[in-house]
Amino acid sequence: MQQKNLMDCFFGGGAAARSKVKAAKRDSDAGEKEDASANAGAGEPKFKRLKKGAGGDDGEVSVARGSPEKHEAKEASAAKADVPGPKSPRKEKKGLSLKSRDTTSAKESKPKKTFGVGQKSIAAAAASKSFDAKASATWKTGEPVPYGALAEAFDRISATSKRLEKTEIMMETFRVVISTTPEDLLPIAYLATCSIAPPHEGIELGIGDATLIKCLSESTGRTEKTVKQDMKQEADLGKVAMMSRSSQRTMFQPKPLTVRQVFQDFKTIALTEGKDSMDRKKKIIKKLLTSSKKSEATYVVRALQGSLRIGASEQTILSALARAALWEKGEVDAASDESIASSEDAALKVMKKVFSECPSLDKIVPAMMEHGVADLPNHCKFTVGVPVSPMLAKPTTGVHEVLEKFTDTEFTCEYKYDGERAQLHYEGGKLKIFSRNAEDNTEKYPEIRTEILPKSLRETTENVVLDGEVVAYDRETKQILPFQNLQRRKRKDVSEEDLKKQATVCYFAFDCLYYNGTSLLQSTLVERRKALREACQEREGLFFFATDKTSDDLDELQVFLDDAIEAKTEGLIVKTVDSTYEPSQRSVNWLKLKKDYMEGIGDSLDLVVVGAWHGKGKRKGWYGNYLLACYNEDNEEYEIVSKIGTGLTEEELDVVKKQLDPHKIDGPCSYYKFKEGSRNEPDVWFDAQVVWEVKVANLTLSPHYLAAFGSVESGKGISLRFPRYERTRDDRTPTSATTSDQLQEMYENQPEAGASRGNGGDFSD
Amino acid sequence: MFEARLLQGNLLKKVLDSIKDIITEGNFDCSPNGLSLQAMDSSHVSLIDILLESEGFEHYRCDRNIPMGLNITNLVKMLKCAGSDDIVTIKCEDKPDNVTFLFESKDNDKISDFEMKTMTIDDEHLLVPDQTYTAVVKMPSAEFQRLCRDMSAIGDTVHISVTKEGVRFSTTGDMGTANITVRPNPSADLKDEERTEVQITEPVSASFALRYLNSFTKATPLSPTVTLGMVPNLPVVVEYKIADMGHVRYYLAPKIEDEENGGAIEA
Repeated sequence: MQQKNLMDCFFGGGAAARSKVKAAKRDSDAGEKEDASANAGAGEPKFKRLKKGAGGDDGEVSVARGSPEKHEAKEASAAKADVPGPKSPRKEKKGLSLKSRDTTSAKESKPKKTFGVGQKSIAAAAASKSFDAKASATWKTGEPVPYGALAEAFDRISATSKRLEKTEIMMETFRVVISTTPEDLLPIAYLATCSIAPPHEGIELGIGDATLIKCLSESTGRTEKTVKQDMKQEADLGKVAMMSRSSQRTMFQPKPLTVRQVFQDFKTIALTEGKDSMDRKKKIIKKLLTSSKKSEATYVVRALQGSLRIGASEQTILSALARAALWEKGEVDAASDESIASSEDAALKVMKKVFSECPSLDKIVPAMMEHGVADLPNHCKFTVGVPVSPMLAKPTTGVHEVLEKFTDTEFTCEYKYDGERAQLHYEGGKLKIFSRNAEDNTEKYPEIRTEILPKSLRETTENVVLDGEVVAYDRETKQILPFQNLQRRKRKDVSEEDLKKQATVCYFAFDCLYYNGTSLLQSTLVERRKALREACQEREGLFFFATDKTSDDLDELQVFLDDAIEAKTEGLIVKTVDSTYEPSQRSVNWLKLKKDYMEGIGDSLDLVVVGAWHGKGKRKGWYGNYLLACYNEDNEEYEIVSKIGTGLTEEELDVVKKQLDPHKIDGPCSYYKFKEGSRNEPDVWFDAQVVWEVKVANLTLSPHYLAAFGSVESGKGISLRFPRYERTRDDRTPTSATTSDQLQEMYENQPEAGASRGNGGDFSD
Repeated sequence: MFEARLLQGNLLKKVLDSIKDIITEGNFDCSPNGLSLQAMDSSHVSLIDILLESEGFEHYRCDRNIPMGLNITNLVKMLKCAGSDDIVTIKCEDKPDNVTFLFESKDNDKISDFEMKTMTIDDEHLLVPDQTYTAVVKMPSAEFQRLCRDMSAIGDTVHISVTKEGVRFSTTGDMGTANITVRPNPSADLKDEERTEVQITEPVSASFALRYLNSFTKATPLSPTVTLGMVPNLPVVVEYKIADMGHVRYYLAPKIEDEENGGAIEA
């Protein structure tokens, strides 16, 4: 049966091309041996290379797995880790992760998480100490890092579900790179975070499956039909790419991929536009696929799709990066395992903070290599032009809860305007507007640049970064208009004509992050509000400060909330006055209070549409019901949470069908979690692209749905009661949808659920 | 420096037309023997080998080997500016940043010159061996073109098998199968170039992607005949000879036949 010894190419590398499904299941060692023998057996080459290739033409490359001592250390760490700790495994994982959350609140329903140095990190420290980065390299110092080494690290990362191990593997890879070819660290960091540029530059990969299938079939000589068949079975194009045995031999074995080449190719693909751009992109993709060995093809394809799916979040990669630099730059206090663990912990905190204020690997990686981790905050600062992700608020269920959470803390309330969050970066007469996803929205709101800001900035303001909300606003009636008016606006090339037709907007500023050369992220809200008022002034119908009120009287707050609703806003945001601005955090220092949900879970949900059922009767020709999923950050999976069918008008049914149909896929993606064979399998599956805002009465438990499955009660997931479609969220990406962790938290905070758990208040009116 | 003057400028156009679908850039190597190019398509499945011998040029000067990396797409665009009867002169320095193309009209009443930027292309020189082919088929190039086009209307892989009796091309697709057999025709009435000849030492058969073969037939205007050379388990060579000048050769790696492609080899 093994037909593998047929040379796949006529020279070089021998039968190193991709193996077939069955072949792929062989013991990998045997596979390597066979490859090697095929390599030798490829002798008597009829065709020869004249020039000697730039080294490392043949042979497999991988990051060696460290010295034997290290292996022992690792086992020891595993053994230690197995000792049951005081915390549940789920909590423990979180405690050690970078996602630290403030737990000062009195009514935090979860057990307190310990920070700092845990048993595991001490054990890991010992392993890190004995790791010899240089000796583990499989390429020579100064040589380009082979992509195979990274792919192998990805393989190992996907093979474990333990976050600590994932970090460890990535850290070792980074350490090897730093000690041999430091200039490849930046491309590797980008490839590992599956990005090619800082988010605000708006350069993204994201090649459609149809194109990838075409490239795959053309580069392997298989028909599209058979590729699609495999796709149905595997539900992961990356795997299909790896397992596609090439039915087409090659003339000469392509050179092995290097990290910097792959990164450069990705960048070229993302930047290619204009005539024939698709063809040019396809050529590069085919070249990458032809050159891919083993699992390289998997990660090339997944990266092109836009997600690596190895279960390593950006935070994991960042902490690996910080720790790797720490070791290789000799910044570790290696006196004892405890001191190592605590210096690593400090490095993580620094990295996390620096990245939240300056989310640009372009800046961080070179600065880190030059100045080390500890000194990073002095070199990578928040600057005008590089947006931070906005600070977010936690939902609450009522004024009671707010008062309870903020006992003994001074706080203030602001209207929560229903518009589009916008960060304005102004410097030297130039303005950039960024959305909450760091997308450049400057062109969408030209009037902010031409009219609103020039009229409201004070003359003394040289540069400033404002946080606020763009809201549709009728200047004649002085009324706030519904959010939908913003969605109808054109995104680009907005002409004078368009402006006349579109709804006018007004900017409601509520925060100031930077003012005349000084970053205010570390300043208190009081100071930031002061700066905001120094930098700008209100202009009727154009620019307002968010209406606010400071009080801790229950009745007064209730009245203020009613006023907010009366003023056509969504409700209130309640903020502690001495809190700093915490970019990208859903902080307990900011709470949101919405009118509609006083009885329910306190907020609407943003969920991903992953499937639909054909409509009947009145809804014939459209979809009748839709399947919604939330996002699980830890596993990078979408968990099915509910069906939805209400809330859509006939007009909307038509619009959403047109929106969804281009994302139709043949079957569920491998990273969709749903109960098979149950009534949860829709007629049509969609690629995770479209995000809906959904209102619900409350959250329930159901054995049919897998959202946060087993986290509240074993055998049950969280589902929605009476979900209702609210609107389509163009400004939300699927990965920024409501997460399973958030759902779990909301469930536990629900009045009835909370009451039954004995830690909720009495919320009956 | 390098300078070459070609009376039939049209030839250059035809040569580039024959490769522009397969590669987007390539290193032209100027050597005292002539102008040559070798390049693989992005999937490394086919290899182009072009030789324009120095004797074929009206004037040819090359002091040392010069690699000239050019963007083929742009080169084709530029050559569109030359009339079909123009005389073309190619000039460059030893380490060229630019290559000059000079077009003179036949009556010498118009001269145009173009300068094109060169690019650094990182590719390897590949040695293509002179091979003794176990089967060589010579046939009219137009007929081969027609045949490939007909086959690709039905399937995407063609199985070529050469025996003493002739060459059999077969393909399978969704709608069915097709077989075309071409027989040697010794008739004395035919001119050399209209004749199909088969020379074989042992029968050979292999499968190839029609997509590539179809691209190769873009070279049909260069030559009235085409020659296929085959050796078991090695690439097929498809050669178009350019009279008094050299050749355009394409090498194409065979497909691996298995159940998926309905082939026979499955030991």
